[in-house]
Amino acid sequence: MIDRLKDNMSRYSFLIPSLVALGLVAVFPVIYAVRSSFYSWNLHRPAAREFVGFNNFVKLVTDYTYVNSVSITLLYTAITVGSTMILGFLLALLLKKPFKGRNVVRALLTVPMIMTQVVIGLNWRVFMWEPDYGLINWLLRLVGIRGPAWVSSVPFAFIAAAITNIWFMTPLVMIIMDASLASFPQSLEDAAKIDGASYWQRIIYVIIPILKRTFAFTLLLRITIDFRMFDIVHVLTGGGPARTTQLLSIWVYNQALRVSDMGYSNAGAILMMVIISIICSIIAYFGLIRGGEQA
Amino acid sequence: MSKVSRKNTNTPRYSKLKPQLLKYLKFIAIGIAVLIAFFPFLWLLMTAFKSMGDIQSLPPKIIFSPTLDNFRAIMDANFFKYLQNSLILTFSGVSLSMILGVPAAFAISRLKIPFKDGILFFILALRFVPYIVFALPLFLLFVERGWVGTRYGVVMAYILINLPLIVWLMKGFFDEIPKVIDEAAEVDGASRFQIFTRIILPCAKPGIACVLILAFIFTWNEYLFALILAGRHAQPLTVGLTQFLGGIEYGVRWGALSAWSFTLVFPVVTISLFVNKYLRKGFTGGGYNK
Repeated sequence: MIDRLKDNMSRYSFLIPSLVALGLVAVFPVIYAVRSSFYSWNLHRPAAREFVGFNNFVKLVTDYTYVNSVSITLLYTAITVGSTMILGFLLALLLKKPFKGRNVVRALLTVPMIMTQVVIGLNWRVFMWEPDYGLINWLLRLVGIRGPAWVSSVPFAFIAAAITNIWFMTPLVMIIMDASLASFPQSLEDAAKIDGASYWQRIIYVIIPILKRTFAFTLLLRITIDFRMFDIVHVLTGGGPARTTQLLSIWVYNQALRVSDMGYSNAGAILMMVIISIICSIIAYFGLIRGGEQA
Repeated sequence: MSKVSRKNTNTPRYSKLKPQLLKYLKFIAIGIAVLIAFFPFLWLLMTAFKSMGDIQSLPPKIIFSPTLDNFRAIMDANFFKYLQNSLILTFSGVSLSMILGVPAAFAISRLKIPFKDGILFFILALRFVPYIVFALPLFLLFVERGWVGTRYGVVMAYILINLPLIVWLMKGFFDEIPKVIDEAAEVDGASRFQIFTRIILPCAKPGIACVLILAFIFTWNEYLFALILAGRHAQPLTVGLTQFLGGIEYGVRWGALSAWSFTLVFPVVTISLFVNKYLRKGFTGGGYNK
């Protein structure tokens, strides 16, 4: 009896500290956030805190700024995820055959995603997108185009935010695709080659179907990263101009720390979590669970 | 022999020039990609050592007389206080998460635990929750306890972002170690703790290194939690950087901005270049994409 107790103690002593820590710093805050999303609660008037039921959520779906942030976040995520998936996969294809210095190229190509996001956002804002002294407009002037005031005009701020993100996140897709191409069964490709399939036919009909799970997983990872994007865009445009780059994370941040409306901003965050959960579940279901059965 | 025969069957004679041309195109494409990817870091490296006049000159000066003015400027902006915060926050956040996470990964990989799949799913799900969902309630809870503006609060947030990553990746690395090894040790009478410290941990050294590097990079680069929780006195370098954007009255301090940025990204970029293989394994291996 005591032996079994001791055995269980040692078994759980490995795991329990972690779970307790996650309970304290992750689960408890989320429960707290859900609870406060049912309250009207402004930090400037903490005494006036009162239970309002689903009022905050009703207010959210009729709030122009929130709906705007949802659609902007979805559009932003679709564009950046789509572009990085394509570019990253193409880069991985370029690196598929061994050549001299391939590992150096791989290392140099991973630099963007390692760089601090705030550094990326601020430096792209100041050195790349700056209208007069910025590098991008200088390059445009060289070919005779007068570049816009990127970060402060519609719709160029959105485009600048998207391009900066594509630069930042393409390496992640490249790394994952590169690794899965390296472990791709060469015999399958050779078989298709002997059957007379061209290079692009082999990619579309042989490689992509077999890597379906990798694609689904990468898609999932990329969508969650961009959906919660804060750092780069916060310092690049601050959500402006005219809220055209106010992603959901930035909306919640502004609502909480500028307006100090805690119940409402927590409701916005919870609804944001619900939206991304639904998107992820759909992708996981079709790409991983059902796709898994086929493979 | 096989090489010769493949050449004959696969390369139609009429297009001998095409593969050669495609090869050149391929290397040009790779070259452009490398240039675009690595250029901003090079740019920072140069700008950090440029004088104000050189920074704003167009076309950009490749050759210039380097100056340390920008680094003197960031010293005046309390650089070392921020650096100290960054180092303490990163060190505590990463080491505490490792101490908690590695044994947990061992338990999930090796021991009989009820609801194991549920626990794994829970940990994975945490990685997909938007950070702002955690950041707000943590801020409110810390306000009540007076922890906003202390390092403790930020370190707790860093445990939150690192622990799921560490458990998930380390579980993958532990799974790769053949079970026969620890079963043999068990037969020899080793305790669970001994199996963990003497056998599993040494076998998983590359995995640990890889997870450590990733956790370091993510923590060093973290901005959102620090922005919300660090108050005035516990701010790391990432939050301190925004001061150079200035207001309308000062304008952007370009030189100081780039010097600060350079010192901020230099450690992570150097590490990533030197141990790139481990780094890539962290993003792809260890069951991460299974």
